[in-house]
Amino acid sequence: MAEPTAGTSLTRAAEGLIAIVLVLLLAFIPLVASTYLIRILTGIFLFVALASAWNLIGGYAGYADFGPTAFLGIGAYTTGILMTQAHMPFPLALAAGGLCAMGAAAGIGAVLLRLRGHYFAIASLGFMLVMEQVAANLEITGGGSGMNLPVARGFTPFYYWMLTLALAAIGTGALVPRLRAGYALGAIRGNQEAAQVVGVRPLPYKVLAYVGSALFFALAGGVYAYWFTFIDPPTVFDPDFGIQAIVMVLFGGAGTVLGPAGGAIVLKSLDILLTNTSGLLHNVFFGGLICVLVLFAPRGLVELLRAGRRHLPDRRRLQRSGAG
Amino acid sequence: MGIGTQIVLQDAVNGLLLGGVYAAVAVGFSLVWGVLNVVNLAHGALVMLGAYATYWFAASGHLDPLATLPVVGYALFLFGYGLQRFVINRVIGTSFLVTFLLTFGLQLLITNLALAWWTADVRSVTTAYSGWALTVGAVVVPAVRLVGAGAAVLMAAALAAIMRWTQFGMAVQATALDREAARLMGIPVARIYARTFALAAATAGMAGGLISLSFPIFPAMGTGYTLVAFVVCVLGGLGSVAGAVVGGFLLGLAQTFASAWVGPNYNNIVAFSALILMLVVRPAGLFGRAGHFRG
Repeated sequence: MAEPTAGTSLTRAAEGLIAIVLVLLLAFIPLVASTYLIRILTGIFLFVALASAWNLIGGYAGYADFGPTAFLGIGAYTTGILMTQAHMPFPLALAAGGLCAMGAAAGIGAVLLRLRGHYFAIASLGFMLVMEQVAANLEITGGGSGMNLPVARGFTPFYYWMLTLALAAIGTGALVPRLRAGYALGAIRGNQEAAQVVGVRPLPYKVLAYVGSALFFALAGGVYAYWFTFIDPPTVFDPDFGIQAIVMVLFGGAGTVLGPAGGAIVLKSLDILLTNTSGLLHNVFFGGLICVLVLFAPRGLVELLRAGRRHLPDRRRLQRSGAG
Repeated sequence: MGIGTQIVLQDAVNGLLLGGVYAAVAVGFSLVWGVLNVVNLAHGALVMLGAYATYWFAASGHLDPLATLPVVGYALFLFGYGLQRFVINRVIGTSFLVTFLLTFGLQLLITNLALAWWTADVRSVTTAYSGWALTVGAVVVPAVRLVGAGAAVLMAAALAAIMRWTQFGMAVQATALDREAARLMGIPVARIYARTFALAAATAGMAGGLISLSFPIFPAMGTGYTLVAFVVCVLGGLGSVAGAVVGGFLLGLAQTFASAWVGPNYNNIVAFSALILMLVVRPAGLFGRAGHFRG
């Protein structure tokens, strides 16, 4: 974090101003843009929200959750069931979906987050597969044949829902490093044993990060369900949502505030341009991208750029000291 | 013998036959994890490639899947060698997330290229003996499944023998125990890694060939088998052939009995519950020792 000097408070004010202008611009876009552009932007906001949400557990806590889509599915199904069976208004059903996912995350997280590394990653992926099978076996979800949600009147509300979600997820990501929990998570990520020695109990903080990440995945899932009006187990429990979010976070820089959002914007735009919504091409693109990214920039593009900038003056200083 | 006992016996036999295939899938996965410390999420994709290779031999050349097994294994050996030497070797020793993501990316690439070339059609291999079955008392044992499970156990035994009694196997064990010490003793670690991965790929390919005898094959089949391999390794313990075989039988039995008693659509729930239970109760598995590979 930046030290509180006179200079930074000025730049902080400028940053705040830029952010406000940007948000206002985004809020006005639907008034002038084509339906196609609005739809694409909505899709990008979805992934900004997912990537920023995954960053809470994967970036700040350093726990590679490979099954965050479990919560997207829980949110989608809770919203869908409450809207069709209980005739609840959408915002209430959405909130209930978020609460449901938080409860599930707290329960399963208290067990899974005791595991580490590969074990946590696979166990979280396994949890997602279990939820998919549960949804396919239950009657209230419509089983394997899926369920239809009421059709919304217009498309523009989804733009604002996703925009709000994306901003809220980024905001949460910005807030966390300033909180006590943020420091605790940083310590846990760095060295869990050392964190314990200085009195940080790891499990509650890890569960907190997991629950926060689950909340945004579930809300995104609820909006997604109402937006697409039809859900079935393979679509809302598609591991692809989570994997894309992970790659976007790595691409933009894990554990940074704006990195995940940047990664999501860049990769989703590229994805739309290059693969033109062909599922097959999309998967080949992401598979290839993951390999290239991991091999050549394992700490994300941001780190690569930062390293390049830092190298120059360092080398100069070295040469000078060598000459002197 | 009552009808209840007969059903239980039949389920037990089915479970063991399924478990044999699971063991064949898991031995290579366990080998790579134990020696290279890489959880190879592309392992299932290699199984899929083996199944397709077997299918093409059978469909276009009318060759018997068992006869082509060594060819399929050798092809996958070469593929695995290249994959390790030129791709995976670059991330050995980095954080697990990096190797995890890389192998996931490879899985995504292989699966979707297969989907592009071979379409999503579900295929199956039919042999002259596909309809044959042994009947012991009231228990029916389909020939292809017996052959598949038998060949799987033989393959696991051969791998165990290689690990225990050949110079290569001992070098692999030494590398798994202590990479640096092995290097100091003159073991070419990079080559051992590549050969170990290649050997694991060969077993995955042959497992795919055995699977094609009695299960449907399609490009996306690999993901399920990767999860199976992981669960089997956790059950049996990481880094031993015996562990993978016993873990495979356990999972096969658990899934078969669960599908008989609860319903057919609960296999992932059963596998995941077994995984969590094992990780909580005995994280090292039944036979496991971390960072070690035994024959």
